[in-house]
Amino acid sequence: MGKTVLIVDDSNTMRKIVSRALRQAGIDFDQILEAGDGQEALDVLGANSVDVVLSDINMPNMTGLEFLKAKSEDDAIKDIPVVMISTETGADIIDQAKALGAKGAVKKPFTPDLINDTLGPLL
Amino acid sequence: MNHAEQIADATCEIFSSMIMLEVTPKEAGKRTDPAFSDSISGMVGLAGTVKGNLAIHLPSSVATAVTTAFLGMDVETIDDDVCDAIGELANMLAGAVKTAIDPSGSDIKLSMPSTVYGDSYSLDCLDCGVSVLVPFDLDGTEFSVELLLAET
Repeated sequence: MGKTVLIVDDSNTMRKIVSRALRQAGIDFDQILEAGDGQEALDVLGANSVDVVLSDINMPNMTGLEFLKAKSEDDAIKDIPVVMISTETGADIIDQAKALGAKGAVKKPFTPDLINDTLGPLL
Repeated sequence: MNHAEQIADATCEIFSSMIMLEVTPKEAGKRTDPAFSDSISGMVGLAGTVKGNLAIHLPSSVATAVTTAFLGMDVETIDDDVCDAIGELANMLAGAVKTAIDPSGSDIKLSMPSTVYGDSYSLDCLDCGVSVLVPFDLDGTEFSVELLLAET
């Protein structure tokens, strides 16, 4: 059975690029869901069965770090793995993300191989 | 590595890996004319220990061609998709420059990307200590990436 991924990014362009990279990486996702910020992502997780989340950090309304914190406080979704995918990959920010439960980070720009290497162990 | 080299390396990497387009940096300089015609500019602000702005400036025809390659769909005029794509390019470029200036990531914050476009507009800097403009060749067309940093 294919898996479901949620892509969280305020840029429609970047959501399309990440979707394309997932296909190019050869990862078999049955469903690709999208959200434009952290709050939308929480709503999607509450209504769908999602196997892994790829989330931007710098977003309006609810940032990626705020999303991680809110998700960690909800028993129903706290164990869904999240990988950050962002231009914001300074050591301090990544440390914050990992402290909030992120399982990894991918820096923009990225390649399909890098996406595969990061997501593969989580699926 | 100086700012011009950082911009050149980041731009070449982003275009090569994300858009599958090869671009060639030209000699860096400073922008002397604040006016743009039939163009689009994507911008991201930097704030913290360094304050400034990172911008990518493209003629409209180049912006639509870049967006077409970026998204894998035909784009003929400046629309929301082009603005989003050019804003995201500015975002990635600003992230690369920020990483070079601030490896820890804690001393400089990036704004959300914004875009401006039109037949005629001007962009000027009122407090520039650093002003670097790197032109790029893209299949015989040209666009530029600019870093403006305030006096410290």
